[in-house]
Amino acid sequence: MMDTDWRAPGEIGPWVILSWVLIALGAYGGLPWVALEYGLGDFTPDEWLSALGWHHHRATFALPLTIALLTPLAWGRASGRLRGWLLTLSSGLILIGVLTFFLATRGAMGLGAGVVVLCLTALLAVGFSELGFQRGDCFIAGAVIFVVTLVVVFIFFPVWQIFRHVLMDKAGALAPFTFFRIITSFGVGRVIGNTLLLAVSVATATTICGLIFALYAVRATTRLRYLIRIFYILPIITPPFVVGMSLILLFGRAGMVNDALVFLFGPQGLFIPEGGAPLFERSGYIYGFTGIFLAQVLSLTPVSYMVISGMLASVNPAMEEASLTMRAGRWETLWHVTLPLLRPGIANAFLLNLISSAADFGNPLVLGGEYDVLSTEIYFSIAGAQLDFAKAAGLGLVLLTLSLTVFYIQKRWVGERSYVTVTGVETAGNVTPLPKGLQRSMTLFVGVWFLLVGVLYVSIFLGGFVKQWGADYTLTLAHHLELWSKGFSSGAWPSFIHSLLYALVAAPLTTLVGVLVAYILTRKQFLGRGIIDFGTVLIFAIPGTVTGVAYILAFNTPPIELTGTAAILIITMAIRAMPVGIRGGMSALSQISTSLEEASLLQRAGSRKTIRFVLLPLLKPTIISSMAYSFIRAMTTVSAVIFLATAGTDVATTYILSRVESGDTGVAVAYGSVLILTMLIFTLLVQLVTGRARTERQTRTH
Amino acid sequence: MSGTSLKISLEKVSKLFGKVCAINTVDIEFAPGALTTLLGPSGCGKTTLLRLVSGLEPATSGRIWFGDEEVTHLSATRRDVGMVFQSYALFPHMTVAQNVGYGLKILNAAAADIAARVKEALEMVAMDGFQRRFPNELSGGQQQRVAVARAMVLRPKVLLFDEPLSNIDSKLRRSMREDIRRLQQASGITAIYVTHDQAEALAVSDEIIIMRQGAIEQKGPPQSLYHRPATAFVANFIGESNVVAAELGGQSGERWLAIGETYLDVSHRADLPVENGPVQLSLRPEFIEIVSKEAADESRRTALAGTIVQSAYMGAVYEYAIQTPVGRIFTRAPATGTRFQRHQPVDLRIQPDEVIVIPESVPDSPAA
Repeated sequence: MMDTDWRAPGEIGPWVILSWVLIALGAYGGLPWVALEYGLGDFTPDEWLSALGWHHHRATFALPLTIALLTPLAWGRASGRLRGWLLTLSSGLILIGVLTFFLATRGAMGLGAGVVVLCLTALLAVGFSELGFQRGDCFIAGAVIFVVTLVVVFIFFPVWQIFRHVLMDKAGALAPFTFFRIITSFGVGRVIGNTLLLAVSVATATTICGLIFALYAVRATTRLRYLIRIFYILPIITPPFVVGMSLILLFGRAGMVNDALVFLFGPQGLFIPEGGAPLFERSGYIYGFTGIFLAQVLSLTPVSYMVISGMLASVNPAMEEASLTMRAGRWETLWHVTLPLLRPGIANAFLLNLISSAADFGNPLVLGGEYDVLSTEIYFSIAGAQLDFAKAAGLGLVLLTLSLTVFYIQKRWVGERSYVTVTGVETAGNVTPLPKGLQRSMTLFVGVWFLLVGVLYVSIFLGGFVKQWGADYTLTLAHHLELWSKGFSSGAWPSFIHSLLYALVAAPLTTLVGVLVAYILTRKQFLGRGIIDFGTVLIFAIPGTVTGVAYILAFNTPPIELTGTAAILIITMAIRAMPVGIRGGMSALSQISTSLEEASLLQRAGSRKTIRFVLLPLLKPTIISSMAYSFIRAMTTVSAVIFLATAGTDVATTYILSRVESGDTGVAVAYGSVLILTMLIFTLLVQLVTGRARTERQTRTH
Repeated sequence: MSGTSLKISLEKVSKLFGKVCAINTVDIEFAPGALTTLLGPSGCGKTTLLRLVSGLEPATSGRIWFGDEEVTHLSATRRDVGMVFQSYALFPHMTVAQNVGYGLKILNAAAADIAARVKEALEMVAMDGFQRRFPNELSGGQQQRVAVARAMVLRPKVLLFDEPLSNIDSKLRRSMREDIRRLQQASGITAIYVTHDQAEALAVSDEIIIMRQGAIEQKGPPQSLYHRPATAFVANFIGESNVVAAELGGQSGERWLAIGETYLDVSHRADLPVENGPVQLSLRPEFIEIVSKEAADESRRTALAGTIVQSAYMGAVYEYAIQTPVGRIFTRAPATGTRFQRHQPVDLRIQPDEVIVIPESVPDSPAA
């Protein structure tokens, strides 16, 4: 812009450039340049040595030489702009060189190459910032480039792979009719129809149930409503398919309900006269639409409850009081004032659960039977011996389009239509209670619901302790013993430890990136912001099965070959849980006035120090709860990881599913109950810790 | 406190937000050591201008100087400015001492040093002893004092105030603005003060800059703006004013202003435009006297006839709106006198010496 000297806020000292150069050189010298044959967990010194860059290929000698050439720039105080250009161009060129090397040799990047790429990206960020990007703020420039790189590599690239497999044939030639062929092939229309029917029914049902729960929790005068406030924790800590499993225990062919019905109305039943025709036959009515519908309604209603009750709680009581003073009764007020005010919330809940239902994988897998939906169909076209990647990609594309469309409607149309005005003015007035008759029927409904949920969870826990559900109800410890007492290298332990380990790595990672994305989206304007924006939309909308397919397609071949490693599972978990961090970070940041950051900047603190001393302390509660929630999501996710987990890296959820498939319901249920219990204890612990921190602050400040 | 006061100058500075021009090629100098107020209606660009000086917002074009040093491309962190925010912007998770000492800690000052400087700064704003409180334990006025202490503790080159008193109740505002004025004068730091409250601007400023639509309308000391507004906009914005159309006539030695049928004798005034013709007048309420309708009609009326259309009791004064042939006129009268009733015909006596004559055409950049 101007010809004056540019001085950045955190003026880039020699150590910044120097340390990145040194790390890059170290990684080149000591870390495997190409991927090790059996991953980082299992190698011999010889394999390690031969994977090192200087050992692997002569062309890599260019790398340390060119990187070393950057070193003098650390001290060079060449007229500001020149250094920026030199850094940007040279690190950009080397980066391109490295990528070309891998594409040309068809090698798979190793850890060392990854670190080198990271360092080069950092140097590129320094160069960009010196050119005035982000007003010369090196830290923010780095963060932006980092996030953009992540979004491109782990979102756009995999999604592009789906497109590529649909658009091109194996040889790489354009095959525009592949998608058409897949879509019109036998059965696909039915699958799409099934998915839509299920999604719409589930969304409708959960919205109505969620509305009832919300009205009841916020407006009812009974004690029962206090229970509602905790009931939404259950689905969060329950792996998605466990509800389905418990439904089998209750309503399955050998389930308790069938037993009871047979006992009463079956052949030789209590109510059937001797020799009379039985009114009831044992059947698998729970498999198919009914079962999936029931399971999804049970596990998704809390979502719509939360959306609607949040809106209900912010409705100004004065509006309802105004209606009451105009001679409208409670019914009329509810019908003409309250419900219309909730309309955006209701629409939001409907659309959110439409996506969730279409994306759900666990329940259709466990309960689907003949009723096939997109998510399971995608899985089955890859699983086993089929390996029809084009079909999986095509169906994934359909599911993704569906999900993106609904998400887009939700964001554009509903997201901006809120009648609730947040003015910061304290609203006085009492909430209007529910009409008497309505409250009574709702109490009944909620009571039955809790009873059902209670029985479901009890059956999960009991199911692990009986010999053979439906046939032999003898109490036994056999299932749990099989899981937990056969040493740490067999039974449930390996998968349990994997789950814990991966989730523990993924949770802080995803929270960090999520909050960073939220920060960039709420606070920064720059060219290419749209990339991150669209990336987040994809992260929010992409169904787990689609992520699974996309990752298999993208990371099964060089240059980034990650399948079979723990890294791919950690990354998948992180991506699956990322909406948590982004959403939490955005809502927290929107409540922190930008003038706080500006005040800090004016106190000579650069953006790095501002984030460290001002933003991070203020975001701490959000970060902790996001981390906890991300951890839980990582532990319970199944849809994406089932594509990527291998024998060596299986996790709790995939292990349980494999036992379900092989018919060991007892073992599966036993494991599931332990998983739920672990999550419950973890959630309570986190709430205890954060709750205490909050009360401590309050007592200190009041 | 600070060694020398700096002159702050802006040279053809513009700021665009997308295609919206918030600041349009502004040239200003802020006098060293003075407190200059940026005054204008909301959306006039005054806060944007302040943020351009602070460096929180980069200028689209133009140059900014602190004394002899160009700071156009320096980020806010390196510009050495102190700012008091409208919302105070105290860090809620830090005590008063940590808030005030924040910048010192960033600059790696020794703990004992920080404590001493914090104490000194807090004494200045009469907040010593509150070191260990958290912001949410302080009243609005106290929070603002802490914010002022924080802005001044690093002895910045420039002090910026962004509507610092708009969140404080009106009684406290008066004493707060006196404190700010006193502290600024004692420190000798060049200060820029943004407000939309003209009374506040008149009370604290050495100079006032009236802004309108991203440009400077008029600049000058408070008295000159009040008594000699260059445009009707300024006349309306500073103080209360009735702007009416009039005609300037007569020859030298005997000049008059015609307001409708009313003639004011302005023969002895030397500050009138030489040309005769249509002009705009600004009539301050305090120079309009209401009297009962005079019985006899004179051939050349010196009072403006009208009818009371609104009459309000305000405690110390009555406020009246009077419908006249040239429009509605607003004025007041002491509540000690008789109160005129609605629909009552009255005469308005206007002091010819205090009538402000605004030339019909206004030059684009009025002289200071």
